[in-house]
Amino acid sequence: MVNFTTDQIRTIMDNKLNIRNMSVIAHVDHGKSTLTDSLVGKAGIIAAAKAGETRFTDTRKDEQERCITIKSTAISLYYELSKDDLQYIKQDRDPEGNPHFLINLIDSPGHVDFSSEVTAALRVTDGALVVVDCVSGVCVQTETVLRQAIAERIKPVLFMNKMDLALLTLQIEKEDLYQTFQRIIESINVIIATYSHESNPMGNIDVDPKKGTVGFGSGLHGWAFTLKDFAKMYVKKFGISEEKLTKRLWGDNFYNSKEKKWYKESSLGERGFTQYILSPIYQIFDTCMKATKEDALKFAEKLGVKLTVEEKDLEQKQLLKTMMRKWLPAGDALLQMIVFHLPSPVTAQKYRCEMLYEGPMDDKCALAVKACDPNGELMMYISKMVPTSDKGRFYAFGRVFSGTVKTGQKVRIMGPNYVPGKKEDLYEKSIQRTILMMGRYVEPIEDVPCGNICGLVGVDQYLIKTGTISTFKDAHNMRVMKFSVSPVVRVAVECVNPSDLPKLVEGLKRLAKSDPMVQCTIEESGEHIIAGAGELHLEICLKDLEEDHACIPIKKSDPVVSYRETVSEESNIMCLSKSPNKHNRLYMKARPLPEGCPEAIDNGDVTPRQEMKERAKYLAEKFDMDVGECRKIWCFGPEGMGPNLLMDVTKGVQYLNEIKDSCVAGFQWATKEGVLCEENVRGVRFDLHDVTLHTDAIHRGGGQIIPTARRCLYACMLTAEPRIMEPVYLVEIQCPEVAVGGIFTCLNKRRGVVFENNQIGHTPQFLVKAYLPVNESFGFTGDLRSHTGGQAFPQCVFDHWQILPGNPMEASSKPGEVVTTTRKRKGLKEGIPSLDNYLDKL
Amino acid sequence: MLFLVGLGLGDAKDITVKGLEIVKKAKRVYLEAYTSILTVGKDALEEFYGRDVILADRDMVEVDSDSILQDSKTEDIAFLVVGDPFGATTHTDLVLRARKKGIQYRVVHNASILNAVGCCGLQLYNFGETVSIVFWTDTWRPHSFYDKIAANKSRGMHTLCLLDIKVKEQSIENLMRGKKVYEPPRYLTASLAAEQLVEIIKQKREEGEKDIELAEDSLCVGLARVGADTQTLLTCTLEQMTSVDLGPPLHSLVIPGYMHPLEMEMLKQFALNDSVIEMIETLERKSEHS
Repeated sequence: MVNFTTDQIRTIMDNKLNIRNMSVIAHVDHGKSTLTDSLVGKAGIIAAAKAGETRFTDTRKDEQERCITIKSTAISLYYELSKDDLQYIKQDRDPEGNPHFLINLIDSPGHVDFSSEVTAALRVTDGALVVVDCVSGVCVQTETVLRQAIAERIKPVLFMNKMDLALLTLQIEKEDLYQTFQRIIESINVIIATYSHESNPMGNIDVDPKKGTVGFGSGLHGWAFTLKDFAKMYVKKFGISEEKLTKRLWGDNFYNSKEKKWYKESSLGERGFTQYILSPIYQIFDTCMKATKEDALKFAEKLGVKLTVEEKDLEQKQLLKTMMRKWLPAGDALLQMIVFHLPSPVTAQKYRCEMLYEGPMDDKCALAVKACDPNGELMMYISKMVPTSDKGRFYAFGRVFSGTVKTGQKVRIMGPNYVPGKKEDLYEKSIQRTILMMGRYVEPIEDVPCGNICGLVGVDQYLIKTGTISTFKDAHNMRVMKFSVSPVVRVAVECVNPSDLPKLVEGLKRLAKSDPMVQCTIEESGEHIIAGAGELHLEICLKDLEEDHACIPIKKSDPVVSYRETVSEESNIMCLSKSPNKHNRLYMKARPLPEGCPEAIDNGDVTPRQEMKERAKYLAEKFDMDVGECRKIWCFGPEGMGPNLLMDVTKGVQYLNEIKDSCVAGFQWATKEGVLCEENVRGVRFDLHDVTLHTDAIHRGGGQIIPTARRCLYACMLTAEPRIMEPVYLVEIQCPEVAVGGIFTCLNKRRGVVFENNQIGHTPQFLVKAYLPVNESFGFTGDLRSHTGGQAFPQCVFDHWQILPGNPMEASSKPGEVVTTTRKRKGLKEGIPSLDNYLDKL
Repeated sequence: MLFLVGLGLGDAKDITVKGLEIVKKAKRVYLEAYTSILTVGKDALEEFYGRDVILADRDMVEVDSDSILQDSKTEDIAFLVVGDPFGATTHTDLVLRARKKGIQYRVVHNASILNAVGCCGLQLYNFGETVSIVFWTDTWRPHSFYDKIAANKSRGMHTLCLLDIKVKEQSIENLMRGKKVYEPPRYLTASLAAEQLVEIIKQKREEGEKDIELAEDSLCVGLARVGADTQTLLTCTLEQMTSVDLGPPLHSLVIPGYMHPLEMEMLKQFALNDSVIEMIETLERKSEHS
């Protein structure tokens, strides 16, 4: 660990070329936290003032606590590179050769239910260390998070973890281990290729051991290496340049030691990687575990590993650990990989700016962000709220993208609903204090320049979860984060003692602030609803609410699922609705959006902010929609961004634009609360075919048009074969072969569909992938455990929406039941309102 | 029988003798209270008529008309409308619904702003299309009324601008939640209407439009509480109108087109100041020469 005064830390912060902001991402149980620990142990920064009272073990305890609270935490690391190694940095580097590096690392949870924490972490970082357990390979969460990282333009490097397990427990052969590595790297690159567009400004971001973007090792034992480390050792032996040698140490390069020549065919020699990297490692393992102590110590000497007297007394596994750690220290290998290959804020912000900033790319803010200019206008994104020891107050945690944020500075605090030029969701306040946040330590600091991550005091009461902070009066917002998971599971909560209600309301407010994704809402019926990603997420939220936020006993309902309403055909008639004063008439029809289009909207491939012609071209090419019509998309909904479209297909109607706003408002309303049971609408396009308007503006105001538009849209849905959609999880289950049968039984009972069932590499473990309706998932984990003797653990992640077969208009059908129970729960009138409530006759 | 009775513009006493007779013998009396207002409230009417009056708001007339029409086949129901039943406010829909139910109806006419506007001296023959100027919101800023004023003016016609009134409106938020919470009543004043017009003119000019019919120094006439004792009339430029207070509602605005000398003579007596009189005199001289 490194002791620094705040001033010293502040000095490194100025050197933006020597900063790396990165997150560590991995599937649960792939050894992420253990690996992070070894980094913290090597290079973690502790403020000098605290050094006396804290010990290394405290961090570990904190780590354990974090496993429960499931929040991501930032840790700052300091690394000094040797001057010779500076040449490996291919991006812009400090012209004066400053070798001091500041690495801000965010460790985030691995369980899928907490992906939203990862999303928040990705936003403030530029690079990601993807940790994969080389025994189990790429898992669902690896993919989910990697996909998000690429969408956010985060450059990945890969670390192949748990090599100790492969060697000691599973005794995998050298060539097989190489093949396993090769397969994992391939699947990672397939994911990268799938989700990065051709015109990716980050350039080629494939991971490749030859380029040094893949590390290997064991976080648990504290050793790691990249090809470069071995190439360095062998340079003398082979007499070729390090660069050339590195390339030979991976892939189909075989060395014939008699002819001293490299070949491409395996029959002519030994594979470089197995012969020169795996062999010595295997040998250490063998000597330490099986041979005598003398042999082992002799071998250590040969490798140039110096052991202390006490260390020489260690036996077998302990000795092995110590030797490996001294020979190939994990800290150095990893930190070098991070410093060499992950981008500095200067490099990253150049290409990330257009993804991050909503305003024009040539305004003051965009230019300052692109240049990472500490003297430009301040732009800071708050990605999450961190609870303080002061109950109910939060630190606003985020990244400074341009300018310098100072204590006492007057800033504009802009929430996600802020629109430039308007006053909603905007506050002009002073920052009470700027703080450094390192793990659980908080240190006040005078100011923080761009490229760094920090916390703010006194901003929390103006922001709900996230927001943008700027000094520029015409600044636009930084784009809101897109979560890979949706809050599809919800419970209703109430307090046991009715008099506690104010505490519950306050507690829910705090809960909403402290979690990036959880949604706390009040239903029409007065029920308080908490919506989260899954059962576990909700469990943790409820626990937090009960113990930390509200501190009162709470009753909760059974979890229920959110549904979506959609249509399956085009409306069978032209729907007409008249305004209350009967002077205005709207004619509309509904039909399903083309397949894949709602997802494209979810993913942000088609967005309300896109340039209109570009969007129309995309929709026409991808989904075969009419270009002309696509140019006249009035809006997306619900919330102005959902997967439904309102399109103007009228011809030559005068003053149509004067009722556009009212139609849009009616559309937002109707898509937010659908006609069947007031659930969100999904995947429907509504076409406005014709209108008849009163000649005078006063008779066609919002009061007349908004309710009419809503009624007309409802009529459209009712005449277009409406359907109910339910959320579906992708379930991934790892288990031994014997348990597979139990898994199938379990899934069959719950309408689950298995679509993949494979052995994992050479291990006896099997990987089962299936789709499981969220509604059927409650209690699934427990059920699965009892059917498989506790050998199977599922990971469920929201995957897609699917139509629930059957006609919701028939009360006896499955979707009909859903409608009935949902309406009942929401306190709505029994039965779907009949069409004549919405459809008017000419 | 359904009787639609015009109440005129001023106060309770403006009702016609025929109208009063109907009110006195009708079974139920409704007062339509959302498209216009009298200077006196419902209480004054009740006192003068000597009977109860039911207030009918927008919801009742537009959505719940059945309750108004109930029993009207056999009984007499009076539906009171400020101004004339078929004047500025169009209650055709109620009549159509009554006809559909086979209910007979009769109309008792009265003065409406559409004819009372003659008080400013501009001849009714020379008015073009009537327009309404609506309250602008942050996002809803219709311009169509300007186009109509311009079209009238280009043909030399005067325009009567009725000004928005929001007596019992829900905010959009409450409308969506289905909450019957109403905003406090608001009435568009002549000065705010002029302000909106000036803004449109400026915007058109910025957009590079040529031959803009109206300008900040175009003449206009503000009318307040026409037909009432406190009736106020004022002639000035649009720009000046933006900073004039004509007092309590209701207001209307007239944009004159081509004027006959007599019309100008009339306008002069309401002029804001001498410079306005001078403006009108210049116009007079010009028209004499041409």
